[in-house]
Amino acid sequence: MPAEDGPILAVSSVSKRFGGLLALDSVSFEVQRGEIFSVIGPNGAGKTTLFSCLVGTYPPTSGSVRFRGEDLKGLRNDEVVVRGLVRTHQIVKPFRDMTVADNIRVGVLYGRLQLRGAKARERVDEVLTRTQLGSRAQVKAGVLSIGELKRLEIARALATGPEVLCLDEVMGGLNPAEIQQAMALVRALRDGGLTILMIEHHVHAVAGLSDRLVVLNFGKKIAEGRPAEALRDPAVVAAYLGDETKEGARA
Amino acid sequence: MIGVFRRHPALVPGLLFAAFLLLAPTFAQRGMLNDLWNMAFFVVLASAWNLLGGYAGQVSLGYSAFVGIGAYTTVLMANAGWSPWLTLPIGAALAVAFSVVVGLPTFRLRGPYFTIATIGVGEAVRVIASGLEFTGGSSGVRMPPGTFDFGANYYAMVGLALVTLALVAWLQQNAFGLALEAIRQDIDAAEALGVHSTQTKLQAHAISAALVAIAGGLFAINFQYISPGSVFDFRLSLTIVLMPIVGGMATVTGPVLGALLFSYLQIKLLASPTLRDSYLFIYGGLLIVVMLFEPRGIVGLWERLSGLRPRRPAPPPVGEARRAS
Amino acid sequence: MQKFVVVALNSLLAAGLYATMSYGLAVIYGVMRIINLAHAGLMMLAAYATWALNDRFGMDPFLSMVVVAPAFFLIGMALYATLIRWLPRSAAGPSMQSLLLLFGVWLVLQNLAYAIWGGDTQSILTPYTMESVEILGGRFGVPQILVFVVSILSLVGLNLVLRRTYLGKAIRAVTQNRDAAMLSGVNAGQIAAVAFGIGTAFAAMGGSMLSTLYAFTPDFGRSFLLKSFCIIVLGGMESFTGVAVGALVLAFIENFASAYTSIPVSYQDAISFTLLVVVLVAAPGGLPGLWRMLDRRVVAR
Repeated sequence: MPAEDGPILAVSSVSKRFGGLLALDSVSFEVQRGEIFSVIGPNGAGKTTLFSCLVGTYPPTSGSVRFRGEDLKGLRNDEVVVRGLVRTHQIVKPFRDMTVADNIRVGVLYGRLQLRGAKARERVDEVLTRTQLGSRAQVKAGVLSIGELKRLEIARALATGPEVLCLDEVMGGLNPAEIQQAMALVRALRDGGLTILMIEHHVHAVAGLSDRLVVLNFGKKIAEGRPAEALRDPAVVAAYLGDETKEGARA
Repeated sequence: MIGVFRRHPALVPGLLFAAFLLLAPTFAQRGMLNDLWNMAFFVVLASAWNLLGGYAGQVSLGYSAFVGIGAYTTVLMANAGWSPWLTLPIGAALAVAFSVVVGLPTFRLRGPYFTIATIGVGEAVRVIASGLEFTGGSSGVRMPPGTFDFGANYYAMVGLALVTLALVAWLQQNAFGLALEAIRQDIDAAEALGVHSTQTKLQAHAISAALVAIAGGLFAINFQYISPGSVFDFRLSLTIVLMPIVGGMATVTGPVLGALLFSYLQIKLLASPTLRDSYLFIYGGLLIVVMLFEPRGIVGLWERLSGLRPRRPAPPPVGEARRAS
Repeated sequence: MQKFVVVALNSLLAAGLYATMSYGLAVIYGVMRIINLAHAGLMMLAAYATWALNDRFGMDPFLSMVVVAPAFFLIGMALYATLIRWLPRSAAGPSMQSLLLLFGVWLVLQNLAYAIWGGDTQSILTPYTMESVEILGGRFGVPQILVFVVSILSLVGLNLVLRRTYLGKAIRAVTQNRDAAMLSGVNAGQIAAVAFGIGTAFAAMGGSMLSTLYAFTPDFGRSFLLKSFCIIVLGGMESFTGVAVGALVLAFIENFASAYTSIPVSYQDAISFTLLVVVLVAAPGGLPGLWRMLDRRVVAR
């Protein structure tokens, strides 16, 4: 049985190699239940690769991922989702020919909840309301704006009824008003009981929202901790400014 | 009640046509009944294929294998003393087994790679079937005497067509159908939401294989003689695929329209010797025209012209080839 | 030992032909990410053209390639300009639309051949068709050897073009990274047209050569198409040297299987079809992919 105390997600020495490229180099961290935990770092640092390894899109080359105490080794993406760990995609992947409601319905029918019939319809409505997509429910996803598409990504993932929601740059491409909305939504989701793992570029959003964060650069973890401390770490600053002569690795 | 008809306008002509088919033996000539039988046969093949090929977006060019399995099972077992009707479910079961054997390795492939693999599988099946002795080799086999009953066979085929259409209509709007559509439109996103894509594809493959095999068995009973050339033919696989493509993949009416068109074409082609030699030209030309101008087929053209869609043609409702990593 | 040498030599000779015809598919795939199913029809048409030139004018099939190859180069460019150009580019790889469109073209080409030449089996007979030479203890047909020589010449020629000319470098650039190539000033549309022409010309050369070795009908081409596809997948789909290696591997497997096992000749094609499916499923990265996997297992950690 999965353990109820202890970190809800434990990443241990996860590495991922693609041919000659080492995208992730022995990354380790833990996420506690109910946290908003961010993963940040310059472009190409391996953040999205990390998410893919977590949910089983592809397996890590080495290391392990434990979700609620259970080792996720060898599980397919859909098997991981059914256990309560789901991710959104940085480059949105809507089902363009389906309505918004049907997009969400996929998550409701096949995610952790696997609802049917009237209960499924209720959940779709519930998710539509929470993500403010109710007015677009019968519209084909292919015509939505980028802001709406990002919300749809969240809505679909939310529809699966997860315990941990991994958001991959949900604020990318949004205007300031939309970013505020997104931040409010993330907070509301956490307050509703979810644990949130976020990849984000917008440092303000990250600093304002996160309880803790981890910083990756070139696939390695270079800092971890509360936003205020980590963001002031000279290694982190150097990484973002592209100063490659500095080598700062925090254990 | 009326709401159903308003939401699905094709239902009215569809039901009328179904009634026509069921009542036809009371007034139509034998020649016309033969044509209607052929049409029903094509409807089954096209609609069944459409489950995996249209809705799920996995285009298989090897479906004649299932026709052959159904046909040969019926003939060989009938010759061994079985009642022909009892052989149909056995043929279906064998076809399902074969669909799993083929599907397990090939469903890992995306889009065009899957299609090419199915060409390979279809060819391998044909080569092997022509070489085996107990299947009669390339000269074929004959049904035992006394098994021919056109009336019963006509109703069996029409019944199968109606059952197939009803099944597809039901599946495409329930949870299973949603999974198929999700797989077609973005398989990675589908898996990321909990859809077990391989299992779903295998199920669709199996259901369509069973239906096609039963049709194959009825084919054997109707024509009393089959050979690898008639049932394991690449040409047949081609026709099966062209009907939903031209008619409109991932719709209920599309394959029916395609079946109507192709059974009409077949009648015309068989009648005129010059046209018979040009069938490849017509098939190829249709494919080119459809892919260039209206990849969503007749149904897509209709939707575009009646304003339900934007003016520019949309790509065919078949998914992307590769996982974006 | 003797038998081994003979079988190996047979494999080598076959590999040359396989490589030439597979390059036709590889160039088009590399530049446009399109799987050209019409490849089969083009090979078949070229075989008929070669036969017709031989029948009508008594032209030697190998010499007629000087006419056939450029003619088909132009045909290829025309096909691109009239049909392929209009297809939307799919970001994630080859599209079903292009696959089915070219499949339609293949069917049309088949019908063209039926209409012009009928469905009878044709073959080409020259003074040297039945001649053979002895090499290292085995007898090899003269046509087989000539095919090998011509294949090698065409491959060397292709290699020179790819490495020494601007056109060739542009083709390699677009194959590796289309956007970067365009940013460097390469006119991707023109390159695509030329690449389609080259691909068609190589398919034609393959077909011409096949006509000297085998009898053919308009339906001919499907098994060679599948073999070509098997080869480019084995070779890693985006590597030109890979195609040569893939051709060698397939030729060796086919020849050794028929020489040392009791699989009947009629089932031989089933071998390459099965190999295609196996390779697609088990080693989608082709031999380069396997090598990388092996490399990692042996070297890393």
